[in-house]
Amino acid sequence: MRNFILIIRRFFNLILFALLEIVSIVLIARSRTIQGDDIISSSNAVAGIVYKKKTDLFYYMNLGSMNDSLLSENMRLRKIVDALHSVDTLKDFTVQRALPTKDTSVHVVQYASYVYRTARVIDNQVDNVNNYITINRGLKDGIAKGMSVISGNGLVGRVEYVSQHFASVLSILNTNKYQVSARLKDGTFKSTNWDNERPDVLVMKEMPAEAKVKKGDSVFTTSYGNTFPPDVLIGTVTSVEINKKSGRQQIMLKPATNFRNLQYVYVLDNQMEVERKQLTEPSNKKP
Amino acid sequence: MNVYLKNIFRFCILLMLQVIVLNKITLHWFTSPSGALFNPLIYPLFILLLPFETPVWVLLILGFLMGLAVDSFMNTAGMHAAALILLAYLRTNVLNALLPRNPTEYVNMEPSVKNMGWSPFLVFCGFLLLLHHIVFFSLESWGFNSIGALMLKIATSFITSMVFILIYVLLFTRQHVAKSH
Repeated sequence: MRNFILIIRRFFNLILFALLEIVSIVLIARSRTIQGDDIISSSNAVAGIVYKKKTDLFYYMNLGSMNDSLLSENMRLRKIVDALHSVDTLKDFTVQRALPTKDTSVHVVQYASYVYRTARVIDNQVDNVNNYITINRGLKDGIAKGMSVISGNGLVGRVEYVSQHFASVLSILNTNKYQVSARLKDGTFKSTNWDNERPDVLVMKEMPAEAKVKKGDSVFTTSYGNTFPPDVLIGTVTSVEINKKSGRQQIMLKPATNFRNLQYVYVLDNQMEVERKQLTEPSNKKP
Repeated sequence: MNVYLKNIFRFCILLMLQVIVLNKITLHWFTSPSGALFNPLIYPLFILLLPFETPVWVLLILGFLMGLAVDSFMNTAGMHAAALILLAYLRTNVLNALLPRNPTEYVNMEPSVKNMGWSPFLVFCGFLLLLHHIVFFSLESWGFNSIGALMLKIATSFITSMVFILIYVLLFTRQHVAKSH
């Protein structure tokens, strides 16, 4: 026993070092699982308050550019409202968006209905392996895990962790956490990833050679994968490379959202998601 | 100033500097579009500037606390903590190698340009900081798949971190000299 204590006293520093390293490695390992990040994430209370104070300060400095982005957003919404007013549902067979209607003579297929919630970005990362955006809305405002997040310009990401007043959004600039199903102009769809280096480049790998794509095309989300709403702009094609061996194409996209100065986002609550999940889950469970 | 008070104060200053100012600096090195992005990291300076005679276990615990504090702001779980603990553990050994006398003989002194001289101080900071950056960025990329990008990231952030650390050190030693006169 005495020897044991002597050994511990002699190697106390080394043991303490190993212990603390193990604690931090466990923390890292835990955060790479799906739950775990709630202890140390910026949605926890103290960090949230400090970030809020900080953004309150920067909020005033950025009022000008914020105004501009709100104006452009309003303009876009007005355009959509105008377009919806002029749709003739009898001639137009497919309806893109949900139209709440009382008129039973018009057959409208309602397959998704979204509630938009605005939120202010209070912290924003662009240079990590997995980039999180913290927003000032939480459980109390109706935000839940898994909701999709868009900005005035395009797709942003998905809500990952929620606390009472804050939420962390994992942006599409992430590595292997989730993929975005994307649709080209000609209808071909494929998942898109981040190239893990620059916040300005997304990649669609292994596109079949027959897919027609050229520089400047817009790429939109699809509703496959049950994560994001369809027809949200992801980005525009900046370059197309063709692999000579396999004949497959690799497409580089520029995200429509400028992740470096994100200020306002919309959190989308799909009210029909539960129903859709109930329908698809039994088939997923089968081996 | 009391040595405890001074270090608590420095802890807060460095943490706030890191979180509020330096984390906003995301620059391109070699401004081509393929340049790596990086953040300068200044918070290891807290451990580097603790007094010479601080025992290793105190260094380790303080390093763990500082790392966790930075982690909780940057959503990185334990990565900063893991890297900073290694730095804290090796600090005494590096000081032993660089100083003419045993570090415990320097009473009430802390590593600085004035106490150590320029080149030992730079070697001391540079070596430990490089080690810290290598560990941190390796943990962050969680593997060595893109080793070129990793090396570039380590090198660029190490150089900028050193610049920021030098600026900090120069600013604060100036103040000291002015006070003593």
